[in-house]
Amino acid sequence: MADFDAIVVGSGMSGGMSAKELTERGLKVLVLERGPEIVPERDYVDNLAPWESPNLDSVAQDEIAEHYPKQYGGVAYAIKESNKHFWVKDDEHPYEEAEGTSYDWLRGYHTGGRSIMWSRQVYRLSDLDFNANKTDGYGVDWPIRYKELEPWYEKVETFIGIAGSAEGLPQLPDSVFQPAFELTDAEKAIKTKVEMTFPERNIIAARVAHLTDATDEQRSLGRSNCQVRNRCHFGCSFKAYFSSLNATLPAAERTGNLTMVHNAIVSSIEYDAETNRVTGVRIVDAITNEKRLYTSKVIFLNASTIASAMILLQSKSEAFPTGLVNRSDQVGRNLMDHVSGAGAVGMISGFDNQKVFGRRPSGGIYIPRYANLKGQDKPYLRGFGFQGGSSPLGNAGGQIAGIGRDFKEAHKNPGPWRVNIGAFGEQLPNPENRVTLHSSKRDRWGNPLALLHVTYSENEHTMLEEASKDAVAMLEAAGCTNITANDVSLTKPGNRIHEMGSARMGHDPESSVLNSWCQAHDVPNLFITDGSFMTSAACQNPSLTYMAFSARAAHYAADLIAEGTL
Amino acid sequence: MRTRREILQGLIVSIGGATALTACDGVANVFSTQLGSSTRFYTSAEYALVTRISDLIIPRTETPGALDANVPGYMDGLMTDWANSETKNAHRMALSQIKGELDRRARGNFLDASDSVAEQSLAAFDEEAFAEDGDASGYKRVKGYVSQSYFATEDGASEELKWVAVPGRWNPSVKISS
Repeated sequence: MADFDAIVVGSGMSGGMSAKELTERGLKVLVLERGPEIVPERDYVDNLAPWESPNLDSVAQDEIAEHYPKQYGGVAYAIKESNKHFWVKDDEHPYEEAEGTSYDWLRGYHTGGRSIMWSRQVYRLSDLDFNANKTDGYGVDWPIRYKELEPWYEKVETFIGIAGSAEGLPQLPDSVFQPAFELTDAEKAIKTKVEMTFPERNIIAARVAHLTDATDEQRSLGRSNCQVRNRCHFGCSFKAYFSSLNATLPAAERTGNLTMVHNAIVSSIEYDAETNRVTGVRIVDAITNEKRLYTSKVIFLNASTIASAMILLQSKSEAFPTGLVNRSDQVGRNLMDHVSGAGAVGMISGFDNQKVFGRRPSGGIYIPRYANLKGQDKPYLRGFGFQGGSSPLGNAGGQIAGIGRDFKEAHKNPGPWRVNIGAFGEQLPNPENRVTLHSSKRDRWGNPLALLHVTYSENEHTMLEEASKDAVAMLEAAGCTNITANDVSLTKPGNRIHEMGSARMGHDPESSVLNSWCQAHDVPNLFITDGSFMTSAACQNPSLTYMAFSARAAHYAADLIAEGTL
Repeated sequence: MRTRREILQGLIVSIGGATALTACDGVANVFSTQLGSSTRFYTSAEYALVTRISDLIIPRTETPGALDANVPGYMDGLMTDWANSETKNAHRMALSQIKGELDRRARGNFLDASDSVAEQSLAAFDEEAFAEDGDASGYKRVKGYVSQSYFATEDGASEELKWVAVPGRWNPSVKISS
């Protein structure tokens, strides 16, 4: 008799959704979280005023060097003294990089995982993306197309809440929207001019997982509309932005079917060769080092792309000597992220008599992919989208001329309006980009360290060079001045925090790990619905897609349990 | 609202100084001789310089100034608790260079200069620093600390910038009345 109907490993973006859907189907679910519990009322720091945090809310420089060199190096904009407890300490959770490579593995180990620190931009994939591998031959074909996923996108979007505008773009299908954050007048002017000059390009409002017209269901979970504070990286006491901590985990909890265990680091998954089923999860307690085994009928791996692959690789048996469900040798391979490092900044005139009220969270405009939409018409494969916005330059942090009254008064004025756009490009799947178990180094709990080996191909370099030129051309078309585009310098792999692909889905068990239900080809009661399943990266922010697949897989698993198959 | 001189006097008294100030001119120099023991990072001379230039960069107007907001004390804490040794050394060097530049322009000890001379000296130095070919990164950084510290205080954020904790709505197009 198993302890639970299902175990979900990880409580982040996809784990929360898996847990919600499974518990709402009546299954008894255990969620294992490797980090400590986050209690919003205790641990969110979004209500601190600027003067309530010492030292400009900056983490001490020596402390950064000792504990956060990777995390801070990757996302300095998000890590402050008051919210540093949301980020892992690199010295406590180390990893290794293959010689000649560098990787930003940016993490939060606690209830809700990175869903409480994300940047909240959400976009659907389209058949342009699901057909991509088949079209150009990189990677394997997705075993699913958009139509099959569409109702699950709708289900997830209705629950999480997305502010955005319907645009009818085939390459970026519309979501279920709440009202968008309206563009600034400068952004509207840019949109008009750019779309006139480049008819195939569109400038739309960023689609963000913030409530702007909360539904009854969302309010029943204690969520309310965004208060436009832009304090999201500190948690949100209004629960206005989506996170598993704000939404899916409370929804799961209110079913009465959820059990959560914190500080539970998964070391391996138990496999029974006779029944060809996974039977349980072995963990080590992060605080006490106690080792425990939890059993269940099905297991959902949602530990995040790298960690889930590591757990599989650590779960060796006679049947799977190189790691659980690794018959294809694809576990840990095809590790992808998005790539940035190209964009442009400029000034736009005509708006000096305007300012904004409120601090709009998470971006302003999005320029959906326009490259290679109707065939290969660019010197690179796939494409990119731009994220950006236009706002008054505002307080320049003292970096404007003058002293005295005039200098002081200058800070009251919004200042000139600046425009910025930055590319998020698709990285091609490449089996040589991978995570493996380090041969000798272990963490403090005895688990092997991740060894990351990821490099970019010529395609990503060419794409970003072209994106840089496109960015300048669009700002020129918009009438901007003082346009600057720094030399293209690709972000480190992992830096966009969209890692994916380490247990890809596909048609063929010989070349892929999962089927179209995120179910392991070789072990039917094992599901992986974090970014691991992604067969290609597309260029859209992926969390929404992870959640849609999670919901779909959870219902499929519940159906199989109900009919007695699992 | 207390006068700037009263603020400086108050600070001096609070650290045990008993000097009676008879004029604003030279106040920072008197201040510097008294304050060394209460700062954690700055020497008394450095603290006097930071105090003087903070006051000149962000003076009290209809709203509180840098001294009202205790920007020098904030920066002392910043250097003590946040900065690493490299930043501390660079900051000390910058202050030394700034002092040298301002002494030269004031034709004497900048801290002894009259308000008008001090203001003219710093304004000229600032103008050069922010000129297209300006080369005063140390000064710019110090000015950045002054400004950021000021706007991170309650005086600077809520009184000067009118920072609102909970805007509650987004208006992307607010016309500024002249």
